[in-house]
Amino acid sequence: MSRIISRTIFFIFGVIVFWVILAGTVYASPALPVERMVLSNGLIVLVSEEHSLPFVTMRLLMEAGSRFDPPGEEGLAYITARGLLLGTSRVSAREINESVDFMGASLNVSPDKDYVTAGLRVLRKDLDRGFGLLAETLMRPIFPEDELKREIQTTLGSIRSEEDDPGAVAEKAFEKHLFSGNPYGHPVEGTSESLPRITRESVVRFYKEHYFPNKAILVVAGDITPVLETWQRGKERSETFPTLAGATGTDTDSKIVRIDRPITQANIIIGNKGISRGNPDFYTLAVMNYILGGGGFSSRLMQEVRGKRGLAYSVSSEFETHKYPGSFQIVLQTKNASAQEAMSIGFREMERIRNELVTEEEIEGAKKYLTGSFPMRLDTQAKVANFLTQVEYYGLGLDYPLKYPSLIASVTREDVLRVARAYLQPKGCLVVIVANPGQTGLDSPKPE
Amino acid sequence: MSGLQGDAALSDQVYEATLPNGLKIILLENHKAPIATFQVWYRVGSRNETCGKSGLSHMLEHMMFKGTKGVSGETFTRIIEEAGGNNNAFTSKDYTAYFESMSADQIHVAIELEADRMHNLLLRARDFETERMVVMEERRLRTDDDPQTCLDEQLTATAFHIHPYRWPVIGWMQDLKALSLEDLTEYYRTYYNPANAIVIAAGDFKKTEMLTKIEKAFGSIPRGPSPNQTKPLEDPQSGERRIRMNREVQLPFVLMGYHVPNLRTPDSYVLEVISAILAQGRSSRLYENLVRERSVAQSTNAEHDLVSRDPSLFLISAEPLPGKDVTEVEKALDHEIRQLWEKPVPSEELEKAKNQLEAAFVFSQDSLVHQVMVLAQFEVAWDWRKIDEYVPRIRAVTPDDITRVAKQYLVPENRTVGILVPVMPGAGKGVPADTSVGKSTVR
Repeated sequence: MSRIISRTIFFIFGVIVFWVILAGTVYASPALPVERMVLSNGLIVLVSEEHSLPFVTMRLLMEAGSRFDPPGEEGLAYITARGLLLGTSRVSAREINESVDFMGASLNVSPDKDYVTAGLRVLRKDLDRGFGLLAETLMRPIFPEDELKREIQTTLGSIRSEEDDPGAVAEKAFEKHLFSGNPYGHPVEGTSESLPRITRESVVRFYKEHYFPNKAILVVAGDITPVLETWQRGKERSETFPTLAGATGTDTDSKIVRIDRPITQANIIIGNKGISRGNPDFYTLAVMNYILGGGGFSSRLMQEVRGKRGLAYSVSSEFETHKYPGSFQIVLQTKNASAQEAMSIGFREMERIRNELVTEEEIEGAKKYLTGSFPMRLDTQAKVANFLTQVEYYGLGLDYPLKYPSLIASVTREDVLRVARAYLQPKGCLVVIVANPGQTGLDSPKPE
Repeated sequence: MSGLQGDAALSDQVYEATLPNGLKIILLENHKAPIATFQVWYRVGSRNETCGKSGLSHMLEHMMFKGTKGVSGETFTRIIEEAGGNNNAFTSKDYTAYFESMSADQIHVAIELEADRMHNLLLRARDFETERMVVMEERRLRTDDDPQTCLDEQLTATAFHIHPYRWPVIGWMQDLKALSLEDLTEYYRTYYNPANAIVIAAGDFKKTEMLTKIEKAFGSIPRGPSPNQTKPLEDPQSGERRIRMNREVQLPFVLMGYHVPNLRTPDSYVLEVISAILAQGRSSRLYENLVRERSVAQSTNAEHDLVSRDPSLFLISAEPLPGKDVTEVEKALDHEIRQLWEKPVPSEELEKAKNQLEAAFVFSQDSLVHQVMVLAQFEVAWDWRKIDEYVPRIRAVTPDDITRVAKQYLVPENRTVGILVPVMPGAGKGVPADTSVGKSTVR
């Protein structure tokens, strides 16, 4: 494999200054030293040096996620991404697997709604070979028919297996109904109906349409980019994305989805339409959500549902953001008999934070935590690589670690009230309950 | 390659001290990022519980967040939060651990809070009643509604007859119902003492300064009793045990557990290599043969607990693909085990497994919290210095070792097999060919 890259790896950690001269585009934040460059084929490369441990972590993000699945072929982006590791014109799937394992490395692809990330972690001594494999799988996949068939079978099996995971069942139902008719609505891995329709031809077509360096971001600790300069640039494309009218339409009734399972707990999701990552209210919502249900032990939902009443082990709220608007969700599990009570508390807390200013103590606690814990979001190579791909993909700017504290510090109690009113819809939300119907006593499951 | 940073052995970078009250302190400077992790590990877990009191260790872990004479539970959480810290706790069969991670310049906050709750915990009836409900919800979430975990629990209870590893860390539901505040009070008094604890910290600090802070906070806590930590060993198993668990599930699952030694026996390092040969990576034997080549399973796994304090189980499992017979999958697993007895592992394959284990060991040093956890697990199981032996002992494993160890431990007489059997709703028998996934209604 080392033929693929004939370069030595030894100067990887020593030539950053060299890159500065070559590439020109540089930014280095004291909080997180990082160099940014754009190759002639449009590939954006971020390099963050880290010398204390003898290995390298990389993430390559391609804008080729499940939102690009053609209707009827849900799961195509997923199978295409998984297919990258199933063989190239030079190496078979088995050879790839053997090679990765022999280095003790990991090479994985993670398909998501907006994008696919390929991740590589490899010892420094094997970097040449490891990166060669990553580049090879990315640039020259051949998607063998039998390998694709097996991948689809395994995916169908895991979809079946997930039916026994009530949390996953609830999440799928929530997204299906919230994003109804929107490319975020179907599971990334497709469905048992759509997967059998996926052919090798559609996978090859999807790859040709979506895998280009000018739609990709590479984050790496080290200098190993030249091999990807031979990756051919693709055409610029425009995209229209359907917007959601609201959580459930425009009425004020909540929509309730019930799924019956012979289980001991009701798995409940209460939520509504969310925001895109680029929404300027993102930071105010981070503070608001921390107080409501994002802040671990100290959040209101945790205190009310778990701390005071012992109704759940886990209860949390989250704004899941994408390139286009995502979701707001309160997620909890409670014994079937407590389902109504726990849901009522969820609704009550949504109303409370929409109607009353949060306390000084709450907002100060949230702000201190969010800013004070920031360094821990960057304390491993994997976290740095993930963080930087997000920073680049969402255009947050490489000075983001410097800006973040002031973005949080400027949030006021009035701002929190405003965003709670704007983005929480207790009267028109979507409720998914996966539970044992005989035990919940939920005849008319309506919010208060 | 045994280094944490560069080529120095890990033990060269770790500093150990013991206070007069018996508290062991382990410190590791790491200046990679301006953060630190502070952890207190108590040598108490489900192995210290008695029959009928399962779940007591974990229940007490929950109660440790309910406040002391001087600091309420809410205040505890707020202090950590305002310091920008993350905190959590976890209980295993061998230990209960508490940790805080935060900016290194704030870490004194964690030291004081942990010292306080080591000897000033308030155990109140009302808190206990509420928190027991939380623990029951945790059991429902993680075990009762997760069929594969249920099978694992049943298998473990079948494999062990004498040793307390036979009951689950979270505890049986009936035992949780019967626990009392007196049980907790007695347990706290017995096990939450300096002499039964390890304070372990890593991060961006100077060890002399850190030691001074720890001495100041913990030094005056009375030594307390030294609990008896000896547990009865399991008699050798004298024949295969089998269990079946019927559930309304989509897919069957097969799990096998073999009694094996821990790191006090050199064979355990051979088992570590065997687990990599069987199940680490996409070229491993189980994945290559069962998932890819024969397409009978959609996932496979092998697990070996090297740092178990007492001997535990080597686990192998597979989840069949839809439509595949679980018996066929079990036979395929058997075949892979037999191969280990019969054919020496090719040198290239052995080298691959060693590379994987060594690389994983290096990668694991990326996270400060993980670094500390590994040190503490070795310490609880035997001695943290044994971490330096890990890579050399793995490197020394030969094909003959693998054949010998597989023949000694991975044999039917020494195992328990558990099968998860899908049944129709309400029925106690029969395997539906195509189970309905349950009805979905929209209102």
